[in-house]
Amino acid sequence: MSSRTYRSALETVMVEALENVPSTAIIGQGVTDHKGIFGTTLGLHDRYPGRVIETPLAEDSIAGICIGMGLNGVYPINTHIRADFGLLAFNQLINLAAKYKYMFGGLFEVPLMMRMVVGRSWGQGAQHSQSLQSLLSHIPGLAVVMPATPQSVLASYRYAISEHKGPIVMLEHRLLYELEFDDDEASPSHPIFGSRLDRLGSDVTVVATSIMVLEARRAADYLADFGISVEIIDLHSTSHYDKEMILTSVEKTGKLLVADTSWTFYGVAAEINRVIAEKNPRLLSLPSVSVGMAPAPCPTAKSLEDLYYPDVRVLVNEVAKLHNESDGHSVPLPDSESMVDFYKHFRGPF
Amino acid sequence: MSNRDELIIRSLRVRMVEEKIIDLYPSDLIQSPVHLSIGQETVAVGVCAALDDRDMLFPNYRGHAFYLARKAPLKEFFAELMGRKTGISKGKAGSMHLAAPDYGVMGASAVVASTISHAVGAALAERIKGKSDRVFVAVFGDGATEQGAFFESLNFCSIHGLPVLFLCEDNSLAVHTSLDDRQSFSLERLSDAFGIVFFNEEAGFDPVAVFETTSAALRHLRGGSGPALLRVKTMRYREHVGPGEDFDAGYRAERTVTQWKKKDPLLGDLSRFTAEIALIRDEIDQAVEFAIGSDFPGIEELLTDVL
Ligand SMILES: Cc1ncc(C[n+]2csc(CCOP(=O)(O)OP(=O)(O)O)c2C)c(N)n1
Ligand SMILES: [Mg+2]
Repeated sequence: MSSRTYRSALETVMVEALENVPSTAIIGQGVTDHKGIFGTTLGLHDRYPGRVIETPLAEDSIAGICIGMGLNGVYPINTHIRADFGLLAFNQLINLAAKYKYMFGGLFEVPLMMRMVVGRSWGQGAQHSQSLQSLLSHIPGLAVVMPATPQSVLASYRYAISEHKGPIVMLEHRLLYELEFDDDEASPSHPIFGSRLDRLGSDVTVVATSIMVLEARRAADYLADFGISVEIIDLHSTSHYDKEMILTSVEKTGKLLVADTSWTFYGVAAEINRVIAEKNPRLLSLPSVSVGMAPAPCPTAKSLEDLYYPDVRVLVNEVAKLHNESDGHSVPLPDSESMVDFYKHFRGPF
Repeated sequence: MSNRDELIIRSLRVRMVEEKIIDLYPSDLIQSPVHLSIGQETVAVGVCAALDDRDMLFPNYRGHAFYLARKAPLKEFFAELMGRKTGISKGKAGSMHLAAPDYGVMGASAVVASTISHAVGAALAERIKGKSDRVFVAVFGDGATEQGAFFESLNFCSIHGLPVLFLCEDNSLAVHTSLDDRQSFSLERLSDAFGIVFFNEEAGFDPVAVFETTSAALRHLRGGSGPALLRVKTMRYREHVGPGEDFDAGYRAERTVTQWKKKDPLLGDLSRFTAEIALIRDEIDQAVEFAIGSDFPGIEELLTDVL
C-alpha cells in the first residue's frame, strides 16, 4: 500500500494549482523563503516567480489584495503560518469576502483560498495555537474546511481551486504535517461541503475534527479490544458538514461524543448537538459528551498543555462510559503518553 | 458644448439626483442611510471623465456620485435605493453598496478604508494576467487615510509599482471630527515616505481642474511609473449621513461652506443649460417612476447568492 504525508499532499496541490491554472497565485509571508510554509511552497517561487508573492507583514491589506485579485480573475492562495495571525485579516474575510456576492446581488464572485495553520505543542502558547473554525463557520458566505488526511487535502483543495467561486478557509493542523497515511482513505461525501465516514461502528458515534479524528482512531483501536465498536465521522467541512451522515449514525448508535480541536462552547460540539436537538433529541439514548480544549487560553508549560488538550485517554474513558451507560466502566485506560509525544514519533500505520 | 460645460452638466445631474433623494426621503421610499455627495460631485465627475471605460474604480459608501459619473444606469440606481428587485443589486445593496461592474464600478463598502486594498489586488492580478495600461482607482475620504489598511496598501503598491490611483476626497471631516483633531501627518509627506508621487488639487469645486490634475496623474500611471496619490480638496454641504444640513450642531462653521459655495459652478448662472436641465429632470422622473413601480424582492431572494 502506498502512502504519503499530509505535507506532501499540500505540496502537491500547491504545485498543481500553479501548474494547471495560469491565473493562480500563492501569496503570504514566507512563501518564497527556504522553509516554504513548512515545505508546501518550496522552490515554487523559482518556477513561477510572478505568481508566488512574498508580502510585507500586513495581513489586513493582503487579504484585501486577495479579494481584488479574485475580482480581477486571479485565484489567490493566501497563507498564514498560524491561524492566530489570520485574525488580522478578519475584517476583509468577514466584512468583505464573505458578503461580496450576496451584498451586491450576485454581481461579483470572490474566489480565494486562505490557508491557516493551527499550531500545537512545543510551547505554542496562547497566541500560536488557536483553532478558529467556529468563529469562521459562523459567518454565512464562508466555506471552512479542516482536512484530516492527505486524501482530504487533495480532494478539497483541488475542488476549491478549480470549482468553487467563493472564499474558502482551510485550517491545517500543524501536528498532521509529517504524518504518513495510506492512500486508501475514504473520501469526504463532498470535497468542501461534506463530511467523511472514517470508520464504521455500532456502539458509539464520535464526530471529530482535524487531528482529533486520528485521536479518535487510536481510541477506537484500543476500545475494539474490549468489544466496543466506535463509528467515527470526520466532520471535514465545519461550515457545511454532512448533517444526514451524523443523524444517521446517531440514530444507529444512540450515543454521541464530539471531539473538536477548539473550545466546546459556541463551537463545533455545540453545533452538532444543536442539529440533533432540533431534529429529534430522542435519537440520543444518553446525554452526549463534548471534548475540546479546556476553557482557557492555551498555557505554554508542557505539563499544563498536556492537561489542556484532550487525548486518547480522555476519549477512551468517555466512550467507555457512554458504552457502559454509567459513570464508570471496566476498561483500563491506555498508558499516558501525551498526544504530542505520540505524534512526534508517529510513522504509521494509517 | 465645451468640455467645461459638459463636466458641469454631468455634475449637475449628480446633484439633481441627490436633490431628488432629499425630496423623496421624508416619504420613506428610501429606507436606508444615504451619504450624500452634494458639494463633492465635481470630484467624481472630473476624475471619471479622465478615466477610460476599462479602468476599474473601487468606491466607498459615499458613492452615488462615482456610480453616476461612470454612467451606470439611473433606473437601477433608484430601484436599488428603494430596495426593489429591479435594483442593480436586487435591493440587497442599497445606497452604501453601489456597484456596476459593467461600468467599472466595483463594490462599495461601508467599512472605512476597506476597498483600498482591493484596487491594489486587482492591479496585481492584471499584471499576473499579463495585461497592461489599465488603471485601478481606490476612492476614500480623508478619514480613511488614518487606517492601517491605507498605509499597508501604499506600501505594497509601491513595492510592486502597480498602476493604482489613490484618490482622497478630502472634505476635512470624518463624521463630525475635523482633520486637525485627527491627523499628525501630512498626506504629501506620507506619500513621499512611500515613494509615491503626490498630486494635489485645491480647487475641488472645479471639475475641469479635477479633470486636468487627474489626467496628469493618469499619464504618470499609464507610463508605468507606479502608483500615484491624488488628494482633492472638497466640501460636504450636508450632514454626514442623511438628507439634512446640520450647521446648528456646531462642529463646523457654516461660513466655510458659504464661502466654498461662492466658487461652486453648480450654483452659478445655469441659464444656458435650460434644455439639458429639463432632460435630466425627465430622466430622473422616469427613473423614480420605474423604481416605484417595481416589485420588492421576496423570499426567493433571501438565500440566493450566499455562497
Ligand atoms: C472601520 C470603520 N470605522 C468607523 C466607521 C464609521 N464611519 C462611517 S463614515 C466615517 C467617516 C469617514 O470619514 P472619511 O474617510 O473622511 O469619509 P467621508 O465620510 O468624509 O466621505 C466613519 C468614522 C466605519 N464605517 N468603518
Ligand atoms: Mg472626510
